[in-house]
Amino acid sequence: MTPTRKLMLQLSGIAIVLLMWEIAGRIMGENLLAAPSIVAVTYVELLLDGEMLIELLNSLRQMILGFGAACLVGMPLGALMGRSRLIDALVHPWISMIVVTSVAALVPIFMMLFGTGFEFRVAIVFVATIGYVVLTAYHGARGIDPKILDVARSFGTGRIDTYRKVILPALFPYLITGARLGLVHAIRAMVVAEMFVIVGYGGLIFQTGLDLSTAPILGYLVTIMVVSIGANVALQRVGDRVAPWYAARMAR
Amino acid sequence: MQGAGAAEAHPESGAARAASPGVRLLGNPYLLYPLSFALGLVVWEIIASQLPEVVFAAPSAVLTHIWEATLSGVPPSLFAASIQHMIVGLLLALAVAIPLGFLMGRNDTAFQMFDPVVNAIFSIPSVAFVPFLIIWFGIFFEARVALVFVMCVFDILVTVAAGARNIEPKVMDAARSFGARGRLMFFRVMMPASLPFLMTALRIGTVRAVNAMITAELFFATVNLGEYMEDASAVFDAPAMLAVVFLLALFGLACQEGIKFLEGRLLPWHVRGAR
Repeated sequence: MTPTRKLMLQLSGIAIVLLMWEIAGRIMGENLLAAPSIVAVTYVELLLDGEMLIELLNSLRQMILGFGAACLVGMPLGALMGRSRLIDALVHPWISMIVVTSVAALVPIFMMLFGTGFEFRVAIVFVATIGYVVLTAYHGARGIDPKILDVARSFGTGRIDTYRKVILPALFPYLITGARLGLVHAIRAMVVAEMFVIVGYGGLIFQTGLDLSTAPILGYLVTIMVVSIGANVALQRVGDRVAPWYAARMAR
Repeated sequence: MQGAGAAEAHPESGAARAASPGVRLLGNPYLLYPLSFALGLVVWEIIASQLPEVVFAAPSAVLTHIWEATLSGVPPSLFAASIQHMIVGLLLALAVAIPLGFLMGRNDTAFQMFDPVVNAIFSIPSVAFVPFLIIWFGIFFEARVALVFVMCVFDILVTVAAGARNIEPKVMDAARSFGARGRLMFFRVMMPASLPFLMTALRIGTVRAVNAMITAELFFATVNLGEYMEDASAVFDAPAMLAVVFLLALFGLACQEGIKFLEGRLLPWHVRGAR
């Protein structure tokens, strides 16, 4: 398939969905589903008003802290689990448990522990993210080709050098994948927590929903979508930059 | 595709780990998993003993609560009520996402057309749709089913589409060159080739649905387990709240491991890396 044809198909797919949305919006009315033409107008107003972007930046700052902490703790832990069977067996069941635990169910407990402020949101994002970061790093560390470790050993590479020059580069694409996956869950957790206590960006979405005005909500959803996709692409770019030798192998 | 399944996507990488004899002794899962469980509980108990009890409960208190509450019969009946909207939502999501996933996976035109749109919607946190679901479906059973549907439909769709797209062309070509076509092709070649990723999609979807089940009960009218948690939080009953979360996590794990077990039983040719 030629790139032009691919692009045409992608654009026509987006156009079809927008058209269906427009028709549905016209039929259902603005109280049930605002049509994209209305959302576009409202969106400009939201951008000019500035409240949306301020709330978004505030929320994202706290999310980034929780996400960063999860990466800092989760990546080494996952790598250790991948290389040591003992640590794996001890930690894995609990990591699996954290991954399946619903963020929404944790929110009331974390509210009692941390209140509803800064620590609360950082902690929720941390817990929601860390499982995915750990598991991806773990699969990466487990899958390191024993051949390359043997080669390193037969050249007399020391422990630290093996870690720095062999394991880390081999693990790198998995760390990036883990970070991308974790980021999706970090944003999800941020919205869940904020909608629950009605603060920040998620609170904005929830509050607007109570006013039965669908156009601004859709505007907020578009913004969070752009942020999520943008952050993902950015992480991918960073990955390609820092470890170009893996870009081809980890096509996705 | 930024799927929820990506963390589970490299199951075949297990062979790489060398085990020395001493480690093998320690690597006995029948010894280690109870040990892990016990150690985790001890750590939890120590953390809890440092915090006031109204804020965070020790595992002993949580287990006592579970034991007493189960004897009274309340949590089992709440679970039974909660599972209803989870199952309806999950079945609806499977019914919609599997055909669409196959369409996108096997038809390149459809894939190119809808992949960007699906990824765009997938990147919106599902809970953000709650205001819409309230406007459209109210705050009771229908809304809960709708949230479960929304939360798992895209995960299933993305997994099925990726799986259907990656069915080995070699397999299909070989079957075709032996004259397989039509119904034979579908039932004897496509179906067995699809079952592994369908099971993966089912597993991911079910875990999401368990997650959505409690989310829905907390975000709409609080009922069943959600109400139980709300009531407990109103009187600062930390053991009761943690008990619900703990039971839900166990339930999610049980669903996940149960489907993995089924996978091994039903699809012996699709060998996964030993855990």
